[in-house]
Amino acid sequence: MSKISFQIFLGALFILATGAIILIYGLNEEHRMAVQSAAMHGRAIEQGAALFEQQCSRCHGIQGTGIPGLCPPLNDRAFFDKRLQEVNWSGSMEDYIVATVSSGRLSSTRPQTFPGQGTPAMPSFSDRFGGPLREDQIRNLAAFIMNWEETAETVTVPEPPSEPAAGTKIIGTDITQTLPAGDAAAGEKLTSTLGCVACHIASNVGPAWRATGSEPGIGSLAAQLIHDPNYTGHATTPEQYLVESIVDPNVFVVPGFSSGIMPGNYATSLTDQDVADLVAYLLTLK
Amino acid sequence: MLKSLNLQDLRQKTFAAIDHRVRIITAGLGIDELRAVMRGDPPTEKPNPRYKVHTTSFLFHIRPRYYELGSTIFTHTWRLGFFTAFFFFVELFTGLILMVYYTPSPEKAYDSIIDLLTNVPYGQLLRDIHRFGAEAMVIFTVLHMLRTYLTGSYKKDRSFTWLTGVVLLGITMLLSFSGYLLPWDQLAYWAVTVGTSMVEAAPLIGNQLNLLLRGSQDIAADGLLRFYLLHVVLLPFAAILVISIHYYKVSREHSISLPANIEEDDISPEKKRAAKSRIDLIPDLLTHEVFLVSLGLLLVVLAVTVFNYRAPLESVANPQVTPLDTKAPWYFWWLQGMLKLGDKILMGLVIPGVLALLLIGLPYIDRNPYRSMYKRPVAVAIGVLAVLTLVVLSYMGLPQFGIESDAATRIIQDMAPEEGVGPLRQVPFDQLVAGSYEVDVTPSVDMCPTLSYGCPQFEEVFQFYGNYVDDMVARGRLAADNQAFIIIEDWQQNLKKITMRILWLNEEGTTSTYERHIFLHAERGSE
Repeated sequence: MSKISFQIFLGALFILATGAIILIYGLNEEHRMAVQSAAMHGRAIEQGAALFEQQCSRCHGIQGTGIPGLCPPLNDRAFFDKRLQEVNWSGSMEDYIVATVSSGRLSSTRPQTFPGQGTPAMPSFSDRFGGPLREDQIRNLAAFIMNWEETAETVTVPEPPSEPAAGTKIIGTDITQTLPAGDAAAGEKLTSTLGCVACHIASNVGPAWRATGSEPGIGSLAAQLIHDPNYTGHATTPEQYLVESIVDPNVFVVPGFSSGIMPGNYATSLTDQDVADLVAYLLTLK
Repeated sequence: MLKSLNLQDLRQKTFAAIDHRVRIITAGLGIDELRAVMRGDPPTEKPNPRYKVHTTSFLFHIRPRYYELGSTIFTHTWRLGFFTAFFFFVELFTGLILMVYYTPSPEKAYDSIIDLLTNVPYGQLLRDIHRFGAEAMVIFTVLHMLRTYLTGSYKKDRSFTWLTGVVLLGITMLLSFSGYLLPWDQLAYWAVTVGTSMVEAAPLIGNQLNLLLRGSQDIAADGLLRFYLLHVVLLPFAAILVISIHYYKVSREHSISLPANIEEDDISPEKKRAAKSRIDLIPDLLTHEVFLVSLGLLLVVLAVTVFNYRAPLESVANPQVTPLDTKAPWYFWWLQGMLKLGDKILMGLVIPGVLALLLIGLPYIDRNPYRSMYKRPVAVAIGVLAVLTLVVLSYMGLPQFGIESDAATRIIQDMAPEEGVGPLRQVPFDQLVAGSYEVDVTPSVDMCPTLSYGCPQFEEVFQFYGNYVDDMVARGRLAADNQAFIIIEDWQQNLKKITMRILWLNEEGTTSTYERHIFLHAERGSE
């Protein structure tokens, strides 16, 4: 075999082999693309989860179950099943989330239960409207929120009491009033039904209640803070400080935390008995 | 009528007509001649019609009529220049197709790559080949240059060809580097940010040059568009022009050099004559080239399929987040290594500039008339030294060298890097059972009693974590008084949150903490 025909033969063999490899590779393309799409979707959810934790969790809750008196639940059956009809949205759920996150909300659609943090009720997050997030990040956030759809359970929103029970009254904002005797056990129960634990125990959105290595518990902290030179409230006792923090949260904010995050409607929704129970419980956390 | 239809006459006429057409298409080769070419037979006509092609056909007029036998010896050229050109054409071809799917804007660029990977049949293959070809082209350019240096082929008549070669080295690296930015991921963005910041160091015009290149102080929409246009228009045109000049010199003027021993050694006239005998382009060289192309294609396709070469894609570019380990493409590690040795102007501009001038001026500086390696020991020693220096500098350019980050950060970055896979991500999703695991407290056996098959991979990673912490303590980089955790939480459907946290007693006697939260989705593993 001459050198030329040998090279032609071998070259033809190589071309055939290349063609065969490309063909076999091509048979798997559908599957590869599906796997890649799933992986990219997974990547979007992962990044959305991190963004949710940074940007959304302090108002909508770490697990998206909302904070009564502040922001509505997203990890909620009703959110996925009924919300679009409620607001007459014609697009998809994902678009609704993207649109809301991008432009925020000037005023709440449910001011009674979820007033948000004032005006705007929800800030705009898109960098096109002065927010911190790029469009792709908002898409990732939406992917993360949409991933709750299959598992979301109904979140019961505590109704503001229309008529206070006999012998109690709506607390109001007077912190010097004499409170009825408090029951710490009832107060502890209230902290979970009201959702306080989401920010004050499960995460560090609000000042931690429980004592840590370096910081005292909220009971001791209250006693310290009223003597702090930077304290701007009017309380003179730890009890009053705690009542004030509940009914008029923005008069003083513990350094390191932002104002406007603690729900502002407790003065009109809690009874004096509720607050007394809460204070009794909090004072046990030294 | 019937009488005039002579069958033999008709056959001849038809044959003549077809032969005529074939000669027009092949620029001079008739059917018989073509057959002889394919069979490797000698020419059928005189004068040799295979030479006529070189004057009548455009594509053949830029090819040489023949090479001398000695210059085609495999161990003389190693076909390095050929493969450099081969990869250039691979890049042109794949690049043209990739352009169809690519949009050069920060909003769309990354999405178009994702779309290419998830929605275009053979999209990933094309991208991998393009990336592989780019790296291969850099490698072959450098090797080709090294070969030319060692065989002394840059001397005398070939000094200008050497100069165009140096220019092509620059163009190749710029082509590769400008393409680096286009996927618009973290890897691309920060490598190019670091790279272009060297331009900024230039005295007087630095700021203006930087603006010209980046379009604004930082790389954004304008910068991306500029790099794109550089990558797909300016640099390829420049490359085609200079390659043409480079090749024309070889094919039409001085040909490929003969091995030095044939030119300089005292060898018999017969051997010399044999070495100078002609190898015609048609059919010998052409067949060999087609053979090399088919070999090259096979190797490229094998690399990206069987050997699993993948073009990396990190998360989308984020100017606000500087990754922990930024790294230039490997062919610029030597430069990164140099930058660690001195200031930007000296190490980033002056010395590389002097090196480029030295390379260009090499044929005029080196006055030694001999080409054989044995007769130019100094030149060979300098060449070997230069290669070793490049390797050492490249090693020094690695992020691991000379930059000592805090031990806890290093451990967690190596366990669960910001980008890429890392050991933690390789653990199968279902083996990550929710719980809190502490090094030296949680036993690293039977960690998942709830799983009937246990979690061997997770246990392995947990042991690795423990060993790494102990190792850092042994090396004195981490206080012995420390706690290292992995906390796994079920976060969402198919999603887990993993917190890696290390606490240690610092020099002030208080506790320092470093922690990183990683979200892991079940579908990511396949990526």
